Amino acid sequence: MIRHSFQKKNIFIRLPFSADFLTLAMAFADKGARGFGYGDRETGGLVLAIEELFSFYERESTKGSTVEIEMEDQGYRLVLSLFFCLADPDMRAFNLTWNVNHDSQESLEMLGPMIAARTLSSLRLEFGADEKVILRLTRNREYSMAERVALPPSGNTSTLRLLNPSRDDLYHFASMAATYGSPFLPPFLARPEMAADMLESGHLNALLVAGDDWIMGGVLWKPLTDSCLELYGPYLFIDNPDDEAMTLLMDEAVKCISRSWFKGLVRRQGALAGHERFFDFLGEIQLSGKNDVNATYYYRQLKEESSGVVYCTGNLAIFLDEQYRRLCLPRQIRTASNLRLRNASVLAVELENARSLAVMRPLCAGKDLDTNIRAHLDLLHGQGIENFIVELDTGRSEDVAFADALEKNSFLPRLLIPDAGLGDLVIYDHCKLNAQS
Amino acid sequence: MNLDALIPDYVRNFQAYHPSRPDHILQLEYGVPFLNRLNNNENPLGPPPAAARVIAAFTPDRASLYPNGDSYDLRQALGDRIGIAPDRFLVGNGSCDVIASVIKAFCQLGDNIITADKTFAVYEWVAEFSGIEARLVPLLGYTFDPQAILDRIDDRTKIIFVCNPNNPTGSYWKRQVLVDFLEKAGNNLIVVVDEAYREYVEDPEYPDSIDLMKRFPNLVTFRTFSKMYALAGLRVGYLAGNDDVVEVVRQTSVAYSVNVQAQQAALAAISDDHEHIIATRTMVRMAKSFMLAICDNLALDTVSGEGNYMMIKVPINDMMMYRRLMKRGMMVRTMTGFRFPGWIRITLREKSVMELFAEALQKEIKSIQSTGRTW
Ligand SMILES: Cc1ncc(COP(=O)(O)O)c(C=O)c1O
Repeated sequence: MIRHSFQKKNIFIRLPFSADFLTLAMAFADKGARGFGYGDRETGGLVLAIEELFSFYERESTKGSTVEIEMEDQGYRLVLSLFFCLADPDMRAFNLTWNVNHDSQESLEMLGPMIAARTLSSLRLEFGADEKVILRLTRNREYSMAERVALPPSGNTSTLRLLNPSRDDLYHFASMAATYGSPFLPPFLARPEMAADMLESGHLNALLVAGDDWIMGGVLWKPLTDSCLELYGPYLFIDNPDDEAMTLLMDEAVKCISRSWFKGLVRRQGALAGHERFFDFLGEIQLSGKNDVNATYYYRQLKEESSGVVYCTGNLAIFLDEQYRRLCLPRQIRTASNLRLRNASVLAVELENARSLAVMRPLCAGKDLDTNIRAHLDLLHGQGIENFIVELDTGRSEDVAFADALEKNSFLPRLLIPDAGLGDLVIYDHCKLNAQS
Repeated sequence: MNLDALIPDYVRNFQAYHPSRPDHILQLEYGVPFLNRLNNNENPLGPPPAAARVIAAFTPDRASLYPNGDSYDLRQALGDRIGIAPDRFLVGNGSCDVIASVIKAFCQLGDNIITADKTFAVYEWVAEFSGIEARLVPLLGYTFDPQAILDRIDDRTKIIFVCNPNNPTGSYWKRQVLVDFLEKAGNNLIVVVDEAYREYVEDPEYPDSIDLMKRFPNLVTFRTFSKMYALAGLRVGYLAGNDDVVEVVRQTSVAYSVNVQAQQAALAAISDDHEHIIATRTMVRMAKSFMLAICDNLALDTVSGEGNYMMIKVPINDMMMYRRLMKRGMMVRTMTGFRFPGWIRITLREKSVMELFAEALQKEIKSIQSTGRTW
């Protein structure tokens, strides 16, 4: 079974949440990042981000409140988390787009979080119980790209065996995968040292297949959400017409994870021939960018148990009903009552700069849903973001309340990932912008 | 409260087993009026007649009294039947209960247990949530691999669990294999042989493990009333071992854990099992040959041996097959959790249910074969 028992390497401070302590917070980020052995670029990015975010949210915070800042070194990346409580938060401030108006000084200030986000690998907002807010800033270590290495000669017919990779094995495998090429090479495979660091820190699992002295292929997996793993591959460097290598890798990978606490396994790469033996087909999403790709989503349930009640109406109910039938998922769809909406809705945005992707997640529903979504799209598009995905969790009625407003803004439900959130995650993508770009 | 600080790492990291929801909820969720259970290796013929009578005659006033704390009468009856002293039995709330007692009795942090990777998971689970390392040895073919197990023994190995016959593959060690194994394993550790399905085995070379305890005092046997005796709902199972071994395990087991009705029904069951065992074995034999022919026709691989179950390899992932069969009112066991992805396990049952199951399976396989798709 999977264990995350690696030793956590972290530092921590608690400060008054006020402008007077901004420099201390910045110094913490600076000295901490350097202490963990990160260079100027990673450190600079984090310091800039904390400067923007600390000052931005400090203005929102209650006088006399505190902020706790934790920096965790995960080997391949630093995660800086700010924990604070807001007694009576103006939740709108958690939208990236609140009131952005380029003519007013106040709204220009609201660009702070946007600027901060661009220096990071990702930025994520989480809301806990008791008005707790967590801002998670991650900055990957700078890694060099893979160098070309030799690939196994074609026509190799040696007997295949599975290999539990060492750090060096995985480094070499990643270089091979990059040399072989794939439109679905995750950043950590394009940067072999990153894959090796992730393996070592327990953030990535991998299984390789070897024959004679060659690594012939491999498969990797890591958590996508708290309840769901993501699978990468199998990457095969040989022609293996009877799929022996693929079956070996997939069966063994599933065996390794079948007694973990994850409920499902998702694969979001290209089409996989003969996927039926391993996966259910979920759907496809088109991501535009340097080289446009279709991400085909596959899913494998890992636990027999899967159930739930979803309260919703309209097109979302029709979409879900169709998907639940197709996937034989036991769900009860019930008609939702009208949710009493607050004035302001809040969207959390996770920006993934490498894929020019903004993943938006509803935090709370409000009467301004429609305009809020539009404002986010405009702002992010203006910042050069090309791909927009919205994730609705069917286990949260506040999420489901976003469905109509999403459709008004040209978002369409494309697929669902069972049990990946409190309920299932419905993935919407934005057709208009994608079609234009 | 800082709950996190209270929890040992091995508990926090443990993935608890979630039992399925009750049938009435599953029926609602999958939209079926009835569910045929082929997932738990239960015996649909019900308990032997004498046990059925005891259960039917149970009056509510008896529910207000505690049961006997250590299943005294049942142990006497088992002793008479098997020919050993009643003190050499420890009765538990199902044999899963005695698995936990044995691990608690012999293992401390730093120790390990050894079993197979593809077998009944409870040995591994109890060890892991108790902070004991579970060493999992791959099966050889579909059978427990004696040499590979011996190779994993070290000076912190306390218990070896051998599931005989193995759930889910049905393979078993014959007497000579077990004897050789016990000789090589030495007597510095406990060897548990789980015989949950022993009553289904007809091979005369199947070992009499209790008899072997004379030669191998470190041998412990688990048996259950849940399978052949069809008392799964009452929860009663037991272990047998040498006096001193059982005495130690008794120290770590909770008295009064076996209820009145279970003790009495089990006692009656062993007094009246002859015809019952014959009828059950006949039913299983017929179901097996029927299903083997069906699977052969559908070109599906199977694995079966002894026990009232068999495994079938399906052309789509086993979880999807489970859900598709649930939609047809057939509940099977997926084998992903047993580390056999792509396989399902079914219970071998009475003809009428096997026919319904075969029909459902045929429909699913044909629709997969005709579209080549799982949707
Ligand atoms: C091999 C094996 N041992 C033990 C048990 C548990 O039996 P009980 O109901 O006595 O706890 C089972 C039940 O499935 C089993 O398959």
